[in-house]
Formats: sequence, structure tokens, C-alpha cells
Amino acid sequence: MSETVLATRGLTSGYGKAVICQDVTLALSTGQIICIIGPNGAGKSTLLKTIAGVVRPISGSVQVAGREIAGLSAAQVARSGMAYVPQEANVFRQLTTHENLAMGAWGDPARTDKARARVYDMFPDLRSLRRERAGNLSGGQRQMVAFGMALMLEPQVLLLDEPSAGLSPLMVRQMFDIVRRVNAEGVAILMVEQNAIEGLRIAHRGLVMAAGRVAFEGAAEELLTSKEVSDLYLGTRA
Amino acid sequence: MSLQMIINALVNAALIAPPAMAFSLLFGILRFPNFAIGGYITVGAFAAYTFNVVFGLSLPLAAAGAMAFTALVVWGTHIIVFRPMQEQSAITLLVVSMAVTLILENVIRFFFSSDVRGFDIPLERPWKVMNAHITPEQLQIIAWSLVIGVSLHLLLAHTRIGRAMRAVADNPMLAAIRGVNAARVTAFTTAVCGALFGLTGVFAGLDLVIEPLVGWNLTIPIFAAAILGGIGSPYGAILGALLVGLAEEATILVLPSTYKVAVGFVIIAVLLLLRPQGLFGTAEIKK
Repeated sequence: MSETVLATRGLTSGYGKAVICQDVTLALSTGQIICIIGPNGAGKSTLLKTIAGVVRPISGSVQVAGREIAGLSAAQVARSGMAYVPQEANVFRQLTTHENLAMGAWGDPARTDKARARVYDMFPDLRSLRRERAGNLSGGQRQMVAFGMALMLEPQVLLLDEPSAGLSPLMVRQMFDIVRRVNAEGVAILMVEQNAIEGLRIAHRGLVMAAGRVAFEGAAEELLTSKEVSDLYLGTRA
Repeated sequence: MSLQMIINALVNAALIAPPAMAFSLLFGILRFPNFAIGGYITVGAFAAYTFNVVFGLSLPLAAAGAMAFTALVVWGTHIIVFRPMQEQSAITLLVVSMAVTLILENVIRFFFSSDVRGFDIPLERPWKVMNAHITPEQLQIIAWSLVIGVSLHLLLAHTRIGRAMRAVADNPMLAAIRGVNAARVTAFTTAVCGALFGLTGVFAGLDLVIEPLVGWNLTIPIFAAAILGGIGSPYGAILGALLVGLAEEATILVLPSTYKVAVGFVIIAVLLLLRPQGLFGTAEIKK
């Protein structure tokens, strides 16, 4: 039986006095992918940043495997078994691939070598790029480094902010394949994606955000075939 | 250029390379040009003078004490002055750092007056190498500067804390997301840089004189070396120091030596016009 690994209840957050996401309640179960879609400015990325501890919540609760983490710093959240991959600036550009991966195991350095070997097995292309500075890599390669870094300590939950952003169509397909593979290994994934149709295709559940709130929620297939969601947020009937 | 000029340039470079690396490291982590380095170097020089002349310790012990004391002063200044102001703009922090230098210099002047002082060490004859002269102290400065360069490289490239220092300088938010405690890394960096400024104070006391403006007079060449190497790039700062040292000596060939101090300003002005990112820095693209 699947259990909830990440849950938010009434989560509200923003920047200064501006409230960006309001009263968001969601539950992510083990082995599940939830794809969050919605127009620009809907508060999707802010929601992910709030869960990851980058943005402080104004109110509400965030629990990872039953443990309350709302209000903890990003560095403290990193030790909760959840890893966050930001949309931009998600690698250390001046560090090599090898060093970037080591930073992914910062919380448990004894596991670095073993974890790095596992990540190289998962992304064989990275092995030959291990001495290359991340800033010199292509967008797709950098995204792999960012994924690899997040997976170093085998998180229970992965937060992905637009993993396909800025990638070529071929790389987008590869990226969604990687998301699927990571999920197949038992990692629950909460993903924000502008490429809504592709994102929902690999997700189990979908969540539509508009004006900072959850507008729709349901099985991903249901959202893909919903006329209302399609007309308003997908741009076309799936 | 004569051998004597090359030796002088090397000594200049050895004097400004460690603080230029420290300046670059601090800039990488704190994101503002910290002009308090002049005050920190002066603190180092007077701390070593106190340990050596007042307490009668040998110079190596006095140097170690000065490094520890200056590390404490730099860390303390960070906690008391700069950390509470970290949300302020780089320009505000730069002006505040100038004020810190003025305060440190005047506290020193209050206790030690403006008199020129020197360490209590035996006078030694300079060595003669093919018609050029080099003092044992100058040779020590070059040797220690090399040791520091190599040690800093080993620290940054091959240790966990060094990797964290580079990671925080590169992308502080991502470092936090990966679990790095940036406050601790910053405290460690300020202490390491403080020790280097303290040692520079000792070098300056050996090669120049000990007086309240000793650090301020070195600030512009250090700043020029750091900018030349690409501010935020500690390795570039070493080459920057070499080039500034050579440029200062070469100036003497065509201009009176009093203009030597202007070289740093000229280098900064030319670089800011032609290549603001320095020789090894990466151009920042602003959207």
C-alpha cells in the first residue's frame, strides 16, 4: 500500500508582502509523479521553493514522511530525504561534474564514491565529462548533472522545477525518460512543467494552479482529457 | 629590464599575491570589494610587532600570533559589521569597508602613535646574485608566498571545506539547497583570509616599515592584482600580482619612482575600460 511521503496543508507563501501561492494542499505518495501545470505567474515555482525551504512559508504545513519541515532553512530541508532541482542555476558552474556530484552528497560524505558510481551508471555520458566544468556543458548535460547531484543521497522525494526548460525536443524526450526511470526506482516526484502535455503523460496525478491556488486536481489522464483543462491550460485537446 | 628589477618585481608580487588571493576569495563569498583589507594588514603588522618587540617572541612565533589575531579581527568584523548589513548593496558595503579601515588605522594610531617601527631581528647583509641584491627577508617572503599559493590551491581543490568555499562563491542558493551551511563556510573563509592579511602585515613589516598606513599603501596594488586576475578568481590573483609587480618595476625605467604607486590605479582604470572581468574572470551577462 502506498503511503504519503510529502504532504502540504494550507500552504501559503510569497515574497515580502506579496502572497504568491495560497492555501495549497497536496499529497504525494511513494512511487508517484505529480505534475503541476498552470499559466506563468500561477505560483508553481514558488510552491516548490517553499516546500524546499528556499522561500519561507507564511502559514501552513509541509511534512516529509510525517515530519514537519515548514519554516526550516533550505540546508535543513536538504537533510529530510527530499532533494530539489531548481529550474535555473541548478549546477555549480565553476566546479567539475565530479565535484558537483560530490556536493550532492554533502550531508553524508562517506557515501560519495558509491553514490557517484551509481549516478555514473544511471547517466553514462557524465562519466566522460567528469573533469569538465559544469559551466562548459550543454543544457542537457547540465540538467543531467543537476539530476545526478539531487539523486546522490537517494532521496525519497524529488522536486523538479521545469526539467525540460530550454532543452531541444530530443533532449526533452530524454529528460522525461530519465524522470520516468528515476521514478521507477521508487522516488516520488513533484514536478512543475510548462510542457504540460508531456509532463502529464508521464505523471500519475496532475494539479492545475492558477492565481496562486489549486484550480483543478485529479488523475493525469483525467486532466489530459478534460475539456476545461485542455481549453484553458493545455492550449489544445490532447 | 635588469635582474635586480626582476627580483624586486618578484618580491612585490610575493608581497601582494597572498592578500590578492584572500581579497578574491572574500569577494567570491561576500560579493563586495572589501577595502577593509588595508586595515587588516596594518592590524597584522602591529600585532606581529607587539608579539615580537613588546613580548619578545621570535619572529616566526610572532607571525603565527599575528595571523591568529588578525583572523579573529577579520572574523569579528564580519560578524559585527558586515553580516548584519549583508542585504545592503555592494557600493554601501564598499563604503562601510573603507570606514572599517579608517577605524582600525586610528585605533592603532591611538595606541602606537604614527611613528615608524621595525621588527627586532638581527640585520643581515643582502646576498649578491650576479650583480643583483636580495635580502634574506625578501627571499623568505618569496618562499612563504609560494608555500601559501600551493597550500591555498590544495585547500580549495582537494578538501571538502575548500570545495564548499568554491560552491558557496559560485552559487550560494544551490549550496544551501544541497545542505551546505553557508554561514559556517563564510566564517571559515573570513578566518583563512584574515590569517593571510595578518601574514601580509608581517611581510610588509619586513620589506617596508611598520606604520599605520602600511596596509592602506598596499590596498591599490592588491586590488589591481585581484581585478587583473579576474576578481573572484584566487588563481588569477597570483598572475595578477606578478604582472602588477613587473609593471611597477618597469615604470621606474621611464618615470621617477614616486609614480610607482600610480601603476595600480592605471591598471585598474585600463582594465575597467577594456576588460572589466579581468584576465581569467567570466563576463557577467545582465538580463
